[in-house]
Formats: sequence, C-alpha cells, structure tokens
Amino acid sequence: MDVIANLGLGFAVALTLQNIAYCFLGVLLGTVIGVLPGIGPVTTVAMLLPISFTLQPESALILLAGIYYGAQYGGSTTAILVNIPGEASSVVTTIDGHQMALKGRAGPALGIAALASFFAGCVSTLLITFAAPPLAAIALQFGPAEYFSLMVCGLIAAVVLAHGSLVKAIAMVVLGLLLGLVGTDVNSGARRFNFGMTGLADGIEFVALSMAIYGIAEVICNLEKKLATSVVSDAVGRVWPSVADLKYCAGSILRGTGLGAILGVLPGGGALLASFAAYTLEKNVAKPPRQFGQGDIRGVAAPEAANNAGAQTSFIPMLTLGIPGNPTMAMMIGALMVHGIAPGPRVMTDRPGLFWGLIASMWLGNLMLVILNLPMVGVWVRLLRVPYRLLYPAIIVFCCIGVYIINSKPFDAFVMAFFAVFGYIALKLDCEPAPLILGFVLGPMMEENLRRALLISRGDPMVFLEEPISLAFLIVAAGLLLVLAAPAIRVKREEALKE
Amino acid sequence: MAIRAPKDFWAGVMFCGFAAIGILAAKGYSLGSAGKMGPGYFPLLLGIVLAAMGVILIARSVVVEGERVSRFHILPLVIIATAVCLFGLMIEPLGLVASLAVLTVLSAWAGARFRLLETVALTLVLIAFSIGVFVYALGLPLNIWPSL
Repeated sequence: MDVIANLGLGFAVALTLQNIAYCFLGVLLGTVIGVLPGIGPVTTVAMLLPISFTLQPESALILLAGIYYGAQYGGSTTAILVNIPGEASSVVTTIDGHQMALKGRAGPALGIAALASFFAGCVSTLLITFAAPPLAAIALQFGPAEYFSLMVCGLIAAVVLAHGSLVKAIAMVVLGLLLGLVGTDVNSGARRFNFGMTGLADGIEFVALSMAIYGIAEVICNLEKKLATSVVSDAVGRVWPSVADLKYCAGSILRGTGLGAILGVLPGGGALLASFAAYTLEKNVAKPPRQFGQGDIRGVAAPEAANNAGAQTSFIPMLTLGIPGNPTMAMMIGALMVHGIAPGPRVMTDRPGLFWGLIASMWLGNLMLVILNLPMVGVWVRLLRVPYRLLYPAIIVFCCIGVYIINSKPFDAFVMAFFAVFGYIALKLDCEPAPLILGFVLGPMMEENLRRALLISRGDPMVFLEEPISLAFLIVAAGLLLVLAAPAIRVKREEALKE
Repeated sequence: MAIRAPKDFWAGVMFCGFAAIGILAAKGYSLGSAGKMGPGYFPLLLGIVLAAMGVILIARSVVVEGERVSRFHILPLVIIATAVCLFGLMIEPLGLVASLAVLTVLSAWAGARFRLLETVALTLVLIAFSIGVFVYALGLPLNIWPSL
C-alpha cells in the first residue's frame, strides 16, 4: 500500500526529536494566541514567518501549521468561558458555549469542544492522506492555460465566499496581483514599479506586506475598539463530558466534520466559514428538542468540529495545486517559496518527506492539543488577564525585528510602515485584506501562466475557452459571480439579521 | 450629486488612484503583443480592471445608500507608523537596545492609557526577550549595542 509507505515516511520525518519540538511549539503558540482575543493565527503565522526561515523547510511548515489548527482549539476556550471569541472562527461557539458556562456546564462544553476538534482533526488528516495524491496527479497534467483559469477560478471563489462587498473584494484581488508584480520581471529583466527605489528591485517583501496588514494595521484598529477584559470564574469543574453527552453529540460532530472538511477545501474557505455553516446546519437538522442559543451542547460540538476540519483540509489545495484558499495558506506558500520550493503538485513528488511529514505532524499535533487543552485549561484561562496594552507593543516589536531579519534590509521596515497605513485605511473602508494577500501571492505565477498560454496559442485568447478543463474552471468562476451578483443584497440583509 | 455611500466612494477613489499609478507606470514598459508579452502587458490589463472596479464603486456610491466612514484615529496611526520607520533607521547604526526602546515606548504611547512604570518594565522585558530569542537562540547577526 502506497498510503502506508507514505505515512511511514511522514511519521519518520515528524517523529524526529526536532520536529516533535517544533510541532509542540506550534500547537502551544496556537493555543495561546487562540485564547487571547485580539491576536489571531494569521497575525501569528505572519510574525513567525521570518523565524521559520532559519529552520529546515519541514520544521518551518510543521510549526506554522500547528499554529493554525492549534488556534482552533484555543479559540473555543475564550468563547465558552468569557463569551468573547478568541478567534473569528469561534464566534458561533460563544452562542451556546457561554450559555452552558453560565449554567455551570463550562467543563463539559470545553471537553466536547476539544474532543470534537480532535475527532475532526483525525478524520481530515486521513482525508488529506487519501485525497491529495490523486488531486496532485491531475494537477500535474495541467498546462499554462489550465493553470491560469484555475487561478482565476480560485481567486473568484475566494472573493465570493469572503464576506463584504463583491466589487471591493475583486478590486483588492487585482490590487494584490499588481503589487505582486513589483520588482524585476523574470522574463525581460525590466524593473517594474520601483519608482526609482533600489529597495524595491526584488519586489515588495511578502512578509513586510502581511505583517503590516495583519500585525500592525490590525493593532491600530484594535486600539480603537477597546477590547473589554471580563472577569472569568476559575471554577471550570470536570472537563470530561459524560457518555450521554458524547452520544448526544455524535451526529453533530460527524456532520460538523463532514461539512467543515468540504468547505475547507474550497477557495476562500477554511475554519471561519466552516464553523458558521455547521452551526446553521445544526440548527436546522439536529434532533429536537433543539435548544440552540440556550446552551445546547450540540451547538458547541458541531462548529468546533467544523472549524478544525476546515482548518486542516484547507491545506489540500495549497499542497496539491499551490493555490492558497485563505491568507494563512498564502503565508505557507510564502514560507515554501523562501525555502526555494515552488508550490504546486510537484511538492509531493519532489519533497515527499516535507509533504507527508507535515501531514503526520498534524495528527501528532492534534493529539498534543487534546492533552494541552483538557487538563490544562485553567492555565490558559489565566492568560486572559494579560491586558491588550501589554500585548500589542510586543506584536509591533516582533513584526519590526522580523521584517528586518529576513533580508537584513532596513528598507523593508519602511515598506511595512507604508502598508500598515494602507491596511488601516482599507480596513476603515471595509476592504477585506484577505483577497489582497491571495492576489499578491498568485500575481507572478498568474502572469507567467498567462504569458506562456498565449505564447503557445500565438496570442489567441480563445485558448482559455477551447481547452475543456480551462473552460470548466472559467464557467465555474463566471457562475459564482452571477450567483453572487444577483442576491448580493439578500446576503447582506441576512448578515445584518444575524447580528 | 450627493455621495450616499461614503465608504464605497472613498474606496473607489483609492482604487482609481492605485490604478492610475499602475497604468501610468505600465506605459513606460514595453507592451509587446498578446502572443509575445512585454513587461507592461499584464500590469496594464490589471490596471484597467482595477480602474473599472473603482469607477463602479464611485458610480454606485452616488446612487445606493451606504455606510459612513467611521472616525479615523490619526494619532495612533501616525505614531506607530513613525515608530516602525524609526526602527528601520536606527537598527543598523544604533543596535537592538536603542531601537527597541524607542519602538516600545512610542507604541505604548499610541495606546489609550500611558503608564510610565509599566512601559519601562515592558520595554526592558521585550528587549531582554528579543535579544535572548533572536541573538542567542537563533544566532542572528544583529547588533545589540551601537556599532562605532
């Protein structure tokens, strides 16, 4: 069996002492920042990118991945105990989770959240194991025309599934693509958009851009919001849910896992979308009596399973196609590229140790997370007493040192300051930064594939419509746009009603 | 004509601005043809799409009612952006200790409440932590003290 041999290789990589340590560090950091409101996995991954460059690529990805799925566990703790989502993806967990806590059932709520996440994590790791190789095999057959259309489709889907205005999101994607082109053009050697600044000869540093937006601009926005620190009771009680609770939740956990796993694979998906969708599904299909909103344990189990499943399956398109579905995945791609690994279907065949090692580490990391979260929940709760005014200068300090150490180039600090101001303005104008980051990562690849496709077809743009796979991607993209353009108002109204 | 959706209007203006920069700069590079693209081709294409999006936003903002832009908190923004730039200017000649001290104090000052003792303590902790992690644990070639 190929799968067993592959997993064997993966565990051989993941179980080296060094990688176990990085996996542990990743999930530990993930838990901590998951618990803390005001600092999320995207920010943390961005802040750790420069450090990960000093590691082996395997260790770097294991560390960064641990942060992302670790945050899904930590986020639920804050959601249940303080009614503040530690992470955006645990927003829905606050609804029933905190009600349970008020009724003295905080322990079982935390327990079911961790166990549901663990179950979902194991299942989605298996799913990646089986789904990734065939997908990569298909992707290996793609020519430049297919790739270009796939990227268009991926970007459009990411935009459609993101919340907010469609036009603004498309504009942000296009702006991201443009920013990605700054620097020396690989084909002609022409220096583009450097405006006479030698610092821009190699383009805009990805780390500077992502830390500016997700680190510094977000800090400035948070400073206005006044994050409330509420009082937490230390009495959590027994965290292991009873057998009856487990039985009661089994269906919800299964549904949450399935839905989360599917939504995670889609561009624009991932943990956030998965948790919302799972909660909505649960409200409609769970066996009565439904007491959602008043502390129904299934309202905790389903979204928590879904956000972890979604977090992990979102690695599938990133690893097999080289297409990031969300900003965190864009940063993983950035990490790969700095290590000189071209993201795409070849990663699996050229660097099997990296690919399978990462997957094996996810299973290991999930196991560590259950151990970290259940018995030690009291420790994490105490973290909530750290006020934001002590936290944010640390974020800024980390971003500044980080941006400097990548290239030892002080100029990157100026780039970061510029995009921090831009990011703040964009956030104020309700322009989501996620599409910009996705566009930025894909910009050069998209230009290269467009160029090659049109070179082969001698400049005939019909090539994108004549190749069947390429046509299919474009039809999906156009379909998504049409679907969203029509009921845009309705979607907005629904969102407003939810709040 | 009144602007009914200020958020959309200003976003449109911003995108048009970026598009203008993109298109003007792209005109300086050779365009080539579709079959043999020059460095200016794809940027020009993107610039046009971006401009179109900007125009749609502006046009829509005078027709459809929308949200107002919430107040800009200029001071924290300026302080923090300046602090980051100062860090870039200071890190090589003056080293970590001095540049982090300036960065931390300025960042803390940008917040709502400034407490002197707490800020001093935080600065010391962050400097010690950064030197420990970056210089000793990761072995990165960073100056700790001013290089003379």
